[in-house]
Amino acid sequence: MLSLKQSLGISLGSIGSSKLRSALTTLGIVIGVAAVIANVTLGASFNQYFTDEIGAVGSNFIVIYSQNTNIFYDNQLDLIRNTPGVAGASPINQQMARVTYLSTSRQIDIQGVNEDYDEVANIRMESGEFLTDNDRYVAVLGAEVANEKFDKKISVKNPIEITFRREDGGVVTQKFIVKGVIQDPNTTFAQTGVEPEIRIFIPIETMNEILGIDYYGGFFIKAESLELVGTTGDEIDRRLARSLGVPNRDLENDDAKPYVLFDQLEILEQTGQLSAALTALLTSVALISLIVGSIGIMNIMLVTVAERTREIGLMKALGFTKKDILTLFIIESMIVGLIGGILGVTLGVAAALLVNSYLELPNIFPAGQIAIGFVMAVGVGLVAGVYPANKAARMDPVEALRKE
Amino acid sequence: MVGKDLDRSVAEGNDIVIDICDLRKSYRLGDIEVPILHGIDLCVKKGEFVAIMGPSGSGKSTLMNMIGCLDRPTSGKVVLMGKDTLAISDNELAELRGFEIGFVFQSFNLIPRLSAYENVLLPTYSNSRKGHNSPQRAKDLLKLVGLDDRMDHRPTELSGGQRQRVAIARSLINEPSLILADEPTGNLDSKTSEEILGIFSELHRNGCTIVMITHDPEMEKYVDRVVHIKDGYIKNN
Repeated sequence: MLSLKQSLGISLGSIGSSKLRSALTTLGIVIGVAAVIANVTLGASFNQYFTDEIGAVGSNFIVIYSQNTNIFYDNQLDLIRNTPGVAGASPINQQMARVTYLSTSRQIDIQGVNEDYDEVANIRMESGEFLTDNDRYVAVLGAEVANEKFDKKISVKNPIEITFRREDGGVVTQKFIVKGVIQDPNTTFAQTGVEPEIRIFIPIETMNEILGIDYYGGFFIKAESLELVGTTGDEIDRRLARSLGVPNRDLENDDAKPYVLFDQLEILEQTGQLSAALTALLTSVALISLIVGSIGIMNIMLVTVAERTREIGLMKALGFTKKDILTLFIIESMIVGLIGGILGVTLGVAAALLVNSYLELPNIFPAGQIAIGFVMAVGVGLVAGVYPANKAARMDPVEALRKE
Repeated sequence: MVGKDLDRSVAEGNDIVIDICDLRKSYRLGDIEVPILHGIDLCVKKGEFVAIMGPSGSGKSTLMNMIGCLDRPTSGKVVLMGKDTLAISDNELAELRGFEIGFVFQSFNLIPRLSAYENVLLPTYSNSRKGHNSPQRAKDLLKLVGLDDRMDHRPTELSGGQRQRVAIARSLINEPSLILADEPTGNLDSKTSEEILGIFSELHRNGCTIVMITHDPEMEKYVDRVVHIKDGYIKNN
């Protein structure tokens, strides 16, 4: 029997002696593995990208709004806050208003919210801070409003003037100090109608005071988790409908209610479909590259073994058993496979990194999938090396020796 | 003669190294069965130096391959050192090849990436006799064939004669009962051939059993017996 040390010695010698052949074999594996790993990694990055997109829009949120005035008050806000599964809620009022900064004026969507909105809508600040319930005449600007809308950029502590139309027809202009600027969440695929970048947020107390009203136009609610969004939304819907006197028989009929409720699930469904389609595409590309890579590996291994049939014949003539010969080829295939596999993973990950940075995708490394791709490709290399070696080892030595 | 009629109990004694009985071999060429050997009987005793001679295509190499268990007979019996080579398992066959038979090929069949020393040592990776210090033995054998200063050279760095010397050293590494040489001088010039034959002759004097295929009529002066093969028959039985 061959000892492991001897086998390793012979195998390493064989790899080292034929550098071009070994390099080509390794290259075949490297390309195969790299293709698989790059695809798998890119797939994971795209998935993460979509998840981030949805997260950036606001996590687990439910939006309620009404065209009717004076149906939502603090009662409804308390009712929502006390519904199980609700992590936070902010009332909202909205008005398109003229905003003046220095010498420019623009029509901008003004939203009155409370301090919970920060968390509910997953707001990230570019500079400064978000509103608190103690604030009065301060405003938080979306990135686009602050940086692009006006002739000059608006920074924290700059004063802006907002002209409101009151319910009674009067016009009020009020000066606000900019408290913070909200980061642009950069969402491309997930459009919600509540994008913060084109809006200005002010405390809802201040807004209602200026407008001379005491009702809310709607609510922006955050559920405790994505799984709870559906049931929490339904529960809020039921409670609100009851408190607003919607008859029991109409509880399931959305048209009978004086408000509209929608949650993130609808957006999730859309982006989920997109993401699933992309994942399917990338998976099939990865599968194809695995097949192509495997064929490449198999090809080069077949050539390698065919080239050495004579050597196998000689070894048999010298008294090597079939098992000895297989051991040698398994060890050799494994060494080449491992080197190729490691180089392939490195190259694949590097390629994915490059594409990620080019497409501005997040860098995700799905260790499990990388491992599977690696093991599969190396396994294919092993099978591809052992299968022809097994065939050669079965031959009568004279037949193998006759091969050129 | 000996092969067919000899009492088996005598044949299985230590004296008979090769005992071939009605050996036939044919190859299939498409639908046609091409016979190569038509019932060969041959017996080689311990310590004999036998030359097998015959024109090309006479079947001498085929016979040699049968003796060396490199090929399977179509029918008949090949008994080596008392073992019926058709009745034993593949592993036993490998062991037989490893321990009892030393091959010397016309084309040397050295592994090009291994040094002379490693080539000589190669058979011991799979089979090595208990109590043998194989590395030391490999060095001694290379010294014996006059290559003590070429041990670390690769086959490509050696002349044809030197390569064949390495192959001879390799064939001896496990102290085989039988050395099979298939035209060992076929690729060598006459002076080198003489040297190689000298080595075989020396081995024979030391008690080795050798069967050699050759074209060279000069050989007759070295060997105990010449077996002439023509068209698959032994002519001088």
